[in-house]
Parts: sequence; structure tokens; C-alpha cells
Amino acid sequence: MSACFHCGEPILAGADYSVAIAGVRQAVCCPGCKAAAEWIAGLGLDDYYRLRTEPSTRPEAEPDFSAWDRPALARLHVRQHAADRAEIVLLVDNLRCAACGWLIERTLGTTEGVHEVGVNAPARRVRLVFDPARARLSDLMRLLARLGYVPHPLDAAALDSLRMKEDRAAMKRLAVAGLGAMQAMMYAVALYAGSFDGIDTPTRDFFRWLGFLVATPVVLYSARPFFAGAWREWRARHLSMDTPIALAIALIYAASLAETVLRGREIYFDSVSMFVFFLLAARYVEMRARHRAGDLVDALARLQPATTERLTESGSEQVGVHELVAGDRIRIGAGAIVPADSIVSIAACRVDESLLTGESTPLRRALGETLIAGSLIIDGPVEACVQRVGADTVLAGIVRMVTQAATAKPALAREADNRAGRFVLRVLAVTLATAVVWTFVDPARAFPAAIAVLVVSCPCAFALAVPSALTRAIAVLARRGVLVVDGDALQALAHADRFVFDKTGTLTEPQISPNDVLPRRGTSVAAFAIAAALEQGSSHPLAKALRIAAGSTPLPAVSDLQHIAGAGVSGIIDGVSYRLGHVDFACAGAQTHDRLVLADDAGVVAEFLVHERLRLDAADALHALRADGASIEILSGDIEDRVASIAAQLPVDKAWARATPADKLAHIERLRADGRVVAMIGDGVNDAPVLAAADVAIGLGSGTALAQAASGLLLAGNRLDELPLARAVARSLELVLHQNLTWALAYNLAAVPLAALGWVPPWLAAIGMSASSLVVVLNSLRIDVPAAAPVAPRVIGKTRPTSREALA
Amino acid sequence: MNVILLLIPLSIVLLGTGVFAFFWAIDHAQFDDLETPALMPLSEDRKAPPPS
Repeated sequence: MSACFHCGEPILAGADYSVAIAGVRQAVCCPGCKAAAEWIAGLGLDDYYRLRTEPSTRPEAEPDFSAWDRPALARLHVRQHAADRAEIVLLVDNLRCAACGWLIERTLGTTEGVHEVGVNAPARRVRLVFDPARARLSDLMRLLARLGYVPHPLDAAALDSLRMKEDRAAMKRLAVAGLGAMQAMMYAVALYAGSFDGIDTPTRDFFRWLGFLVATPVVLYSARPFFAGAWREWRARHLSMDTPIALAIALIYAASLAETVLRGREIYFDSVSMFVFFLLAARYVEMRARHRAGDLVDALARLQPATTERLTESGSEQVGVHELVAGDRIRIGAGAIVPADSIVSIAACRVDESLLTGESTPLRRALGETLIAGSLIIDGPVEACVQRVGADTVLAGIVRMVTQAATAKPALAREADNRAGRFVLRVLAVTLATAVVWTFVDPARAFPAAIAVLVVSCPCAFALAVPSALTRAIAVLARRGVLVVDGDALQALAHADRFVFDKTGTLTEPQISPNDVLPRRGTSVAAFAIAAALEQGSSHPLAKALRIAAGSTPLPAVSDLQHIAGAGVSGIIDGVSYRLGHVDFACAGAQTHDRLVLADDAGVVAEFLVHERLRLDAADALHALRADGASIEILSGDIEDRVASIAAQLPVDKAWARATPADKLAHIERLRADGRVVAMIGDGVNDAPVLAAADVAIGLGSGTALAQAASGLLLAGNRLDELPLARAVARSLELVLHQNLTWALAYNLAAVPLAALGWVPPWLAAIGMSASSLVVVLNSLRIDVPAAAPVAPRVIGKTRPTSREALA
Repeated sequence: MNVILLLIPLSIVLLGTGVFAFFWAIDHAQFDDLETPALMPLSEDRKAPPPS
């Protein structure tokens, strides 16, 4: 079995699609991939396949984008610059690597009517400037979907989003600090040379004023975030890291200025610029990692539908969700997402609120009860009266809460802050004492000694100890596809001794093999063709498994295709109405749950046995974790047989079956009460509350958006074998942090008394301060993935046999 | 030594120009995406037909 050239999914025997890429015929798995690959090759963009670092996504059936051409909807998302220039920002799913951005720029760039295409791959955003008269927005969105990138338009306000401003301002500050530090250093070198070889006073003063000139923008412009932070801390009466940093910057700068004016002995414009530059660099890298990992604006854009059906006196119309106001009556079809908090006005229904509560059991909502935006209607259509929209909805509130949690400083950094805060108070006291004592002993030496204490003890090493190490660890992990959403998660991961895995979707993925069909009427080939045709547009793992199983069989045309969320699909083929899904949906009266049933109005047509296939990297990852001393559990809601069969293939200490979300939660809490540090790995949908209860929550990139945001670590590439590596990095982070803090403390304990006694000349103090910061930064750079673990090539399409008898 | 009186102001002017140019570039979205443009020179610039 080989892998599809385009999407990397396995190609089943019998599938016969191929495309010519750069003169070589390459096998692909399905008509969708074939069309996408042919289109890419036809545009002359086959270099994409050489440049990409991740496999592409299989293009799903195209959703209907025509609603986006409505003026009312376009007004909110499109910014009209001139009659022939409109601008829109799209959030694009599956934009995985730089090559995807390259491909989008090339394909859309050659499209008629498109003026400009800007792709921001890390932020997954595409900015389009187009001529609305020549290119319709819905067509452009369809082009993106054809390549496998599903677009979600963002608000027009996103054009000048907060995040971009933050990003740009940080980069400007960093540039000014860097250039300023370099220049100040050059002038300082001239002064050092002068103090050894002799320099006349006017030249020395000239260079000092030059230092002042370049350090001033660094202190007044680049360091402003620290002063603003210190001011906030002062108003909140809470001493944290920004206060000592701002104090140190201000005092060193003021002292240097005073020395320059008074023609004193030493200036420190170079040290203060360098200090600011190092701190800003650490903050910048940290900010980029944060932006990359958890983006809740994106989560919200995906959770909320863009359009909905509003009922009017004369009938109904499709409107954008933003157009809804309280009091509107809306109709929500089966399988659709509720657009706004509303009250059921006609007919009861069942809803799935798993996105919000993690509880996937459908809940019944009767007349007059509330539907929460973001939940899924299982049987419909239902009519409802809108109550709250937009930012007032429960969903928006939850997103806000998660945002706040995500922007909070990790405990690790807070602790270091507090330590540094206490340290600075003591240093200030020592400085004051030094100045006072020397005033009585020898007033001429009071000022230099006080300055030496302040400079030599400058909290730089403390200030840099945690951020530099944390930043390095985050960057190293991000390169491996592990995103750190919450800094504390790393610390917990280093200590975690119990790894609890969800089974379905985390350790396994579903598989249907071509032999696993029980046809009741007709042939198995026909049954597969019908089933695959019904599942054409779905991205559900089961649908994928079915399509793979159907192989190359030509698919019949389906009309009236309907997805009923949580249940299955229905559609009409050749005049016969078919349903495909779990037993109670397709037809009543069958028993088993591990099979999909295809039925028409006359009864069951065929049954498909669903097997579970172990993820390829699961065994390796678990063996590595176990070898590392962790114990491993499986906590699953599935039945005993299946859990046991999976557990038998893995190095598992305990496996729990038939656990409800409440059981899972209780289990995690029990483990924690026993003093275990628990890491929970789940794919998100019904694991969300369980993930939140664990010491470190690890989500998968394929999980739901909100659940991802609730995780501390995200395996963006869905690769479990990155887990042992992440643990190794977390361990080395711990070690380096300890070393950094010990070093900072030892250095200060040694240097401060000497400086207070007046034995450290200010120039030596400046060198000591810079060197101690450098030691910390260089030590942090030692954090890396173990050299023995090269990036493993992605193995695609290899299956492991599963034990049949346990599954059938 | 008088040459430094000429060269240093010159270097400051150059520094200012550099900072100004960098700010201009940031404001014109040159640094928003630091990953994709790295791939641009790896491919030849062929004029492609519009998609059918």
C-alpha cells in the first residue's frame, strides 16, 4: 500500500488515480486530490511539492460560499478602498507550512481580478485585495477550498488587529534597542581604550555625550513597556519584575547622565542599552510563540457559523450572523451550529453542547429552553428566538475566560518575579546604606560606591534567568511541532509521573478494510460505492476510512445530501433514499455499536465493521515514556474488549474502560490527591473538562479549537512521538533554570559586598553586570532536543494488524 | 583626530536613516511574515495561465 502523493493518506488497492508532476506519474488517492494536484501542476506550481514540509490536506467537498456575496455580509468583512479595490482578511485552515503560503500566493495571484495576495503563514491569515466587479469573493473562497484550505472571513476590524500592532511595535522597539546598544558599545570601546592609553578630557566628554545620544531613544522609547509595567504595578501596589527593571534602567541612565554632566569617573550607557535589548529580545520571542500557539479570535471564528436563516413575515432569508439582533426569529437546520444564544420557540430538539461543556451526550431542549451559541442541533430544523448576540453570548464569555487564562503569566515567571522583587528591595537598601555610610567616612567616594553596588547587582541576571530559558525551550519545541500554550505546563511535564491517554482518536484512528462489509442486499462493492458517495464531503475520521475502503470504485451521484451531526448522513441515490450511520439512526432494532449501517426505506442494505488501528507512533512514544520512568494509563469511554485489545499492544500499566466524563474527572482528581503529577493527553471533544483537571493537559492538533485553547501543550503535528522529546526539553529547562538562578544569586552574593566596600571600580562593575547576563543567556541556549533524536521521517500508510476477534 | 568630528555625525545620520528605513518597512508589512518569503527564490517565476 502506498501513500497519496498529495495528501499523504494511504491509497487502497484498486484505486487508480495518478497525476503527472514534473514529468513523473504520481499516484494519488481520490478524485479530490487528483483535481488539486492537477490544478497545481497545470499552473506550473509543482515546485510546491518540493518546498512543502508537511503533507497537504485532502480537499473536502466544497461548502456553499455564495452567501458571502451578499452586500450585507460583505460590508462587515470587506473593506472597500475604491470601486475596483476591496480588501478582506481570511483565516485559513490547514495552512501548515511556508510552502502552503507560497502556493496560495501563486494560485490566487494569477486569478483574474485579484490585485494583491498577502499570506501570513504563522498567523494562518490571507489578505486579499481584489476587484469585486471581476472576481466574486465566493469564487476566491472556492478556489482556496479546492486546494484543501478552508477559508473563514474575519471581521473588517481584523485588518488592523491588535495583534499586528503589538507585533510591529515590539519589532520597532527591538530594532531601536539593538542599533542603540551596538552604537553605545562602539563609543564605550573608544572610552575604554582611552582610559588605558590616555584620552584628553574634551574627546572623552564628546564620546560620553554621544553615548547619551544613542542610549536616550533606547531608554525613552524601547524601554517604555517596562516603565508602563512598573507604573501599573505601582498603582496596583504589587511589586513584580517590571518595577526593578524600570528602576534599574532609570537609575543607571540617570547616574550616567549625572556622571557625564559632572565629568565623573564612569558612564554606563552601553550597559543599559544592552540590558534593554536582551530583555526586549526575550519578550519578543515569547510573544511570537504565544501568538502562534493559542489564538482565540481564530477559535471563535471557527466555532460560530457565518450565516444563518432568519424568518421574516414573507418567508425566510439567509443573513450573516452579525446582522442578527435580539428578538429575531431564526431557523436552524439539523447538524447546524446555533449562531446566537436563543430560546426554542417551535418544536423541541436535541442538542450537542460538547464544544462548550465537553459532554457529548445529546441534551433535550424543550419549548422555551435556551440554546447556547456554538452548540450543535442534532435533529431539526428548530425555530428559535434570538436573545443575545455577539460578545454577549455564553460562548464569547467562555472564550474571554480562556483568553484571560492564556495571557496570565506562568507561575514559573511569577515566582521569579517575586524573587527578583524582594532582591531589588534589598539591593536598594544596601545601595542606600552604602551611600549613607560612605558619606560619613569619605563623602567623595559615596556616589561611585553606591553606583557600583547598583550596577554590579543590577537584577539583569535575575530578570533574564527565567524568560531566556523559557523562551529558548518554547522555540525549540515549536520547531518540533509542539506548541506551548501555557509556560507552567512545561514545568509540570518535567515532573509528570503518570500519563493518562484517551483511546479513541488519541491512540487510535478508525479503519474499515474492504473485506469488512456484510452485504444484506446487493454486492459489497455497490455498498461501498453508495457509502463512500454519501460520505464524500465529510472530514470525520470514519468518513475518511470509508472513502479509503471504497478505493477506486466509481461513486454514484448523490442528491439531497444531509449531515445529521452526531448521527450520520442521508441522501438520495438513483431515487432511493439512503441513510448511513450508527445503528439507531439508520434503522432501529440492531444491536452492535462498532459498525456503521447503510439502510434504505426497506431496511438494512449493508453493515460495515469498524476496526481501530493503532496510531503508528503510539507504541514508540509510550515505550519511550515508560523507559523514562513514567507509568501509563488508558482512560476510555469505550467498551472493555476494545480497550483491552489496544492496551495489549502497548506498554500500559492500567486501562480503564466505560468511563464517563464524570468518571474520568474523578479518576484524575483521585490520582492527583495521591500526589501524582498527571499528564492527560486527549483529542479534545469530550475530554475538555478532564484535560482542564490534569496538571498538564496535552491536546492534539486535530482536536477542537476551544479544547486546544484549554490545553497547556499542543501536539500540532498530531505526533505522539514528540511527547518524550518535549519531556526531555522540559527537564533540561528545569535544570537550566536552576543553574541560572543559582548563578545569579552566587554572583550577587560575591560582588555586592565588594562593591559596597568600594573595592569595585565602576568599569569593572559594568563588565561584571554584562558578563553575568551573558552567562545566563548562553546557558539558556544549551536547551535543545537530545542529539540522539533526529526528526523522524513521517511514515505514511503503514498499518498494524489489530486483533480481529476482540473487535468484531 | 579631527576626522572623527566628521565621521561620527555621519554615522549618526546613517543610523537614523537605517532606523527610519526599518520603521518604514515594518509599517509596510515587510516583516509580518518571516517564513514564506524565504521560499520565493527557490522557484522560477513562470507566468502561469489562469485556472480554468
